[in-house]
Amino acid sequence: MNIQEFLSIFISSVFIYNVILSRFLGLCPFVAISKDTKQAFAMSAAVTFVITAASIVTWLIYRFLLLPFNLAYLRTLSFVLVIAALVQLIEMVIRKTSPVLYRAFGIYLTLITTNCAVLGAAVLNIDMFFVNGKAVPGSFYYSVFQGFCMGLGYTLAMLIMSGIRERLELCNVPSALKNFPLAFIIASILSLSFMGFSGFKF
Amino acid sequence: MINNLIVSGSPHIHKQESVSRIMWTVVLSTIPAGIAGVIIFGLDALWVILVAVIAAVLTEAVFEIWSKKKVTVMDGSAVITGILLAYNLPPNVPLWLPIIGAVFSIAVGKQVFGGLGQNIFNPALVGRVFLMASWPKYMTTFVKPLSYDAITSATPLAALKEGKILEHISYLDLFLGKRGGCIGEVCILALLIGAAILLYKGYISWHIPMTYILTTAVFTYIFGAKQLFHGDWLFHILSGGLILGAFFMATDYVATPLTINGQIVFGIGCGLLTAIIRIWGGYPEGVSYAILIMNAATPFIDRYTKNRIYGTS
Amino acid sequence: MRDLFKEFTKGIIKENPTFVLALGLCPTLAVSVSVANAIGMGVAATFVLLGSSVIISLAKNFIPNKIRIPCFIVIIATFVTIIELCLKAYSPVLDRALGIYVPLIVVNCIVLGRAEAFACKNNLISSFFDGLGMGVGFTLALILISAIREFLGSGQILGHTLIKGFEPIFVFGMPSGALLVIGLLLGLFNLIKNRKT
Repeated sequence: MNIQEFLSIFISSVFIYNVILSRFLGLCPFVAISKDTKQAFAMSAAVTFVITAASIVTWLIYRFLLLPFNLAYLRTLSFVLVIAALVQLIEMVIRKTSPVLYRAFGIYLTLITTNCAVLGAAVLNIDMFFVNGKAVPGSFYYSVFQGFCMGLGYTLAMLIMSGIRERLELCNVPSALKNFPLAFIIASILSLSFMGFSGFKF
Repeated sequence: MINNLIVSGSPHIHKQESVSRIMWTVVLSTIPAGIAGVIIFGLDALWVILVAVIAAVLTEAVFEIWSKKKVTVMDGSAVITGILLAYNLPPNVPLWLPIIGAVFSIAVGKQVFGGLGQNIFNPALVGRVFLMASWPKYMTTFVKPLSYDAITSATPLAALKEGKILEHISYLDLFLGKRGGCIGEVCILALLIGAAILLYKGYISWHIPMTYILTTAVFTYIFGAKQLFHGDWLFHILSGGLILGAFFMATDYVATPLTINGQIVFGIGCGLLTAIIRIWGGYPEGVSYAILIMNAATPFIDRYTKNRIYGTS
Repeated sequence: MRDLFKEFTKGIIKENPTFVLALGLCPTLAVSVSVANAIGMGVAATFVLLGSSVIISLAKNFIPNKIRIPCFIVIIATFVTIIELCLKAYSPVLDRALGIYVPLIVVNCIVLGRAEAFACKNNLISSFFDGLGMGVGFTLALILISAIREFLGSGQILGHTLIKGFEPIFVFGMPSGALLVIGLLLGLFNLIKNRKT
């Protein structure tokens, strides 16, 4: 476990393998909600929070439940259920403890249950930080940090996109390209520009 | 007398400026760098520039006729896109490369968003990063300056990235453009002449170029060498596409922030990203990526650097 | 019989999950680098769609309405696990190429969407054809996108060179090329739709 490893996890999950622009996870809310910055921010905050929490929980389950009992093949099934339950739990806790926060991003929480970014992050953590059924040193911290950074990457892409799309409201965009198609084309140019970060070395 | 008394809404005093006048002046200001490029790399460079300009203008015309808009190719903005794209290409590329690049620049970088004045990204740079991702082989093969027979040579920044020593290139060589590189980026002297025209006419302000170049210089001075505060900042200013980018591409009217504060944020952002990519990134040069990323962030910068409206809090 | 045929064909054109409903785009973009991957993904997703549609339409009377979504997810995840294990056992190359996108079929909106919108309301046979039609529609869309991307990005389709001397446009093998192709295709479909009306 060293600082360079964390730095490269940060750069690669925020920029190079951005969860939306390169891994294509969580695209549906990306094109649907990114029209308004406030909503986009609330959604991204919710996603970041849930991804980080899910990274913690799924890592613990994989390491202490599935691996010891030789049940690794139940990974997908158990992760999906755990994430759904986790989202419900977070929703209930937030509703009881902080109505303000609940109003800010509560409604997005239910949408996240089947967001592929969350399950994707969990599966990716397991694929990357478990080698031959054994946790690599520092695996837990890497997983949680990577989950958090994927959330950050999600937030970055969402915010940039929502800013651009708010400006496009004023533009004379060809009618066939309005909304979805143009959102994808912009995402494509963004993805091209983020390629500038590829091959990062410290 | 009575004919002069016209009742109309503001603005009442018009300046003799128009989009096409500004654009053609920008075209004029890019000519010194083009001439320098042709002198340094030979006629190949001229063909690349011409082909890119013609392809850009034709694409714009085709799109405007197809979508039944007014054909505005004579306003010079497509010409600039073509020129800037060509300036960002190596001189010895096959000629279909600038054609595809120009078509992509105008179609995806500009017309998709609704044409002149509505693009989010600098169209020429969109074309360049597309070519860079598509045909890296052609985009990173550079020829030796003043040899005219396609002897390949690395750009100073690429050589630096590979850890080679560059003792035979002096700062004066870099300033005059005696080095391998893209057509329009090599001759700093010619670029500065063009930039002076634009600054003198007031078509660009100094905020973005100055903050951009200064930030890159400071950052490369601090982190550019193994030891802190030993970086060769002058080398980083004079090599690569920094001067071309800072004066001619980071100052695009449409894709950059409106207020002075916003422009300073934009310049600093470009400078940081350029330096970071140059020092730690996989590519030797980061100017085009830096400007594109900051273009994307521009609507956001604009929102937080609005001027206060009088009478409101 | 004609009704069943209609259930089958609607997923291919009129309600094509990818181009008309814009569902399940994540795997579409990610695995469409090559036609071989696309076919693998399409078959895997079709298998899951078919299996889950059939089981859900059979079990719809036993599933309490309030917890139907978790039940659907468990059924879908079961089929995903089956296909995951099969891939690992019989085609490790394809398994590596598809990577995390195989387990992600669980959260693919098409599968859950069909379960919720169709299978839990209809009988076994129409659910079967609905699932099959949607699966085939998804697979065809994937093949179309991947054929464009593989040809432009490597000059080949399924490993066969089509045009000699064609310089591959590498960008189409990259994520940004995928986004560009899907954006332009969706735009093209809109254009055709606008022309018709």
